[in-house]
Amino acid sequence: MALQLAARGHEAWSAELQAGAAGARRQSAADRSLALRLNSNENPLGPSPAARAAIEQAFAHAGRYPMNAAPSADDFRALVAREHRIDVSAIALGAGSGEILESAVLAFTSPARALVSALPTFEAPARTAKQRGVPVRDVLVDAAGKLDLDGMVAAAAGAGLVFICNPNNPTATVHSAGAISDAVARIRRASPDTVILIDEAYHDYVIDSSYASAIPLVRGNANVLVSRTLSKLHGMAGLRLGYVIGQPDTVGRLAAWTMPFNGNVLALAAACASLKDAQQIVRERRRNIEALKFATDLFRGMGFATTESQANFMWVDLQRSAKDFRDACEQQGVLVGRLFAPFDKTHCRISIGTIDEMRRAAGVFRSVLGGIRDPGPGIRN
Amino acid sequence: MLRRTFVKAIGVGAAGAAGGRLLDEGRVIGPWTRSFAEVIAAEPRALLLHNNENPLGPGEQALAAIRETLAARGVPAARYTSLVPDLEDALAAHHRCSPDNVLVGCGSTQILRTAALSYTSRSRPLVAGSPAYEECGEAARLAGASVRAVRGTRTLHHDLDAMAAAAAADNAGLIYFDNPSNPAATLHPAGAVTEFIGRVLSTCRDAHLIVDEAYHDYVTDPGHQTQIPLALANPRVIVARTFSKAFGMAGLRVGYAIAQKDTVEKMREWQYSSGTNVLGLSAALATLPDRARIEQEARRNADARQFTIEWFRRAGLPSADSQANFIFVDIRRPAAVFRDGCARHGIRVGRDFPPFEKTHARISIGTIDEMKRAVQVFGRVLGVRAAG
Repeated sequence: MALQLAARGHEAWSAELQAGAAGARRQSAADRSLALRLNSNENPLGPSPAARAAIEQAFAHAGRYPMNAAPSADDFRALVAREHRIDVSAIALGAGSGEILESAVLAFTSPARALVSALPTFEAPARTAKQRGVPVRDVLVDAAGKLDLDGMVAAAAGAGLVFICNPNNPTATVHSAGAISDAVARIRRASPDTVILIDEAYHDYVIDSSYASAIPLVRGNANVLVSRTLSKLHGMAGLRLGYVIGQPDTVGRLAAWTMPFNGNVLALAAACASLKDAQQIVRERRRNIEALKFATDLFRGMGFATTESQANFMWVDLQRSAKDFRDACEQQGVLVGRLFAPFDKTHCRISIGTIDEMRRAAGVFRSVLGGIRDPGPGIRN
Repeated sequence: MLRRTFVKAIGVGAAGAAGGRLLDEGRVIGPWTRSFAEVIAAEPRALLLHNNENPLGPGEQALAAIRETLAARGVPAARYTSLVPDLEDALAAHHRCSPDNVLVGCGSTQILRTAALSYTSRSRPLVAGSPAYEECGEAARLAGASVRAVRGTRTLHHDLDAMAAAAAADNAGLIYFDNPSNPAATLHPAGAVTEFIGRVLSTCRDAHLIVDEAYHDYVTDPGHQTQIPLALANPRVIVARTFSKAFGMAGLRVGYAIAQKDTVEKMREWQYSSGTNVLGLSAALATLPDRARIEQEARRNADARQFTIEWFRRAGLPSADSQANFIFVDIRRPAAVFRDGCARHGIRVGRDFPPFEKTHARISIGTIDEMKRAVQVFGRVLGVRAAG
């Protein structure tokens, strides 16, 4: 890998890898700050006021390893345990859920034990698998952009790990609690040793009432793991904290591959404060729903179909190359999602910013989609 | 102020932590006992002398940088893409090399793991001293590699001759060399290190060597030199550094490696790419140029270290020479007994370090005031008294 990347998150890692040929890393931090970032499914407001105050407080412990600080890594795990009514031994931390996903691949797959993933889905597990010589069985999403659970169940026989991203990134679709629990049961029957990792990064944004977290499945299923992140609704993508829930033995096998001291002291404090703040989820869901509705109406009004988004991003059928759209938007200071093969000839993922950001972006989207086939000087700014 | 906040907050968290499992320096060491959490909660002046931390933390510049980053345009805390200047560039300027020679990690623990995963395998073992910091060994075991731990000398220095011989005999993939060493705190001077590394490189076909300089800034021995110039000159040498020790940022998780470009690229393939956080990065950027602060911290540590070593010497319990922010003392009894005794008085000291767990304890150096209090407890627990 010849590129040096400024990016820390997998989201940005993938995006900047694609942009790398254009010299993404050499862009200054100031330049990076100027763009309207609708490219990485972030909460544009960042950590809540309570979380920011907690960071200030926790600074007194910045010299201490995370097990010695207050709150400590174990304090955060205990808080998560109470929230989900499970034992702390069922929880391991990651420096973002990306570390959880990568560690799951390292722990449960091998050249003889494949990864089952979807196409398109979040790429981190499949990328890690390919780097390590692990075969990847990609199962195409269905016509509605939903994970093909039947196909994934069929592909699971003998696999080491099945990765189910629910809601799915980038298609923004969700499966019901019943569909997930049914798929888990079928995988267990057909392939009892296969571990199933259900990534619920966008859990807090789901509107569909048929959806529910898969965390209750952990109790009766030793091979089910559920990952969560503080990067989305809690606005902490830059602070790097996520976690995984499962039965202690399975979590332990995964945790062996994670880094020691992976949750930093400031992120732990911010996360504790944000999880305790019941208003955070209410505020941020409301904000996202409003801006998402505006953006959905915009694209549908222009005649472009979108899936019913259950997350903080939308999946739009632009009927044209995502790369052309992306490059043209970037020219006008708006960054949108990276390419997701095999849909890169038709679809683009657009993250939801604040309502003001979406209004500004709307002008750019209109101008780009109006003239993308003949990008004249006006579009190039 | 720091202590008060700590105790108040841990009082809230203690019940939740009870019964959990604590990852202590990379190892699951069993249940985080309610008793110790209670000790800390009950003892308003608890001392943490067990993890080689800088008791003063990262300082005001770091706090200012963190505040600035939280308030900055583009909301860096919300972003996966780093919106602060690249630490690689600053470190390159600091060490007079190219950003291509720098690999930043989530503490140097991530760098040690990455090196072990990159260069050890079932057929290529890890060679390390014994005792030595364990992280490389644990990652090597994950990679399926065996670990050849080479017992140190009577003066608790690494046995460099034996390590070089073992590396050659076992076809080592990676040699881990912590200098100053942990837990012994001893140092090998530049001449001996150069000779050792030269021998390893010439006798071990395509083995790599990682020099862990976590405690570099605390060294007072004038014979010491960093191996960064050698890492820049030789593709098989890597130097690991951390912001966790003299820079006082153990909680912020920033460390790095310096190596040749191809070596950095090879390691990058094995490294989780998203481990660093933007607040830690901005704190590291803000404090990196301030040499005066590091020199002051080294002096502060040296004074407190000297005081503590001298107390043990007068109590008839000599420690090995220390070139770090901790000492390794022959207490002539099991470390666990001493540790539990100290814990009852609200002081934590270092874990077991086989094969010395029956005789030696590692004690981290706090502030001079903390050490003056600590030696009172040490005297009581050990039943000794400093003469003179």
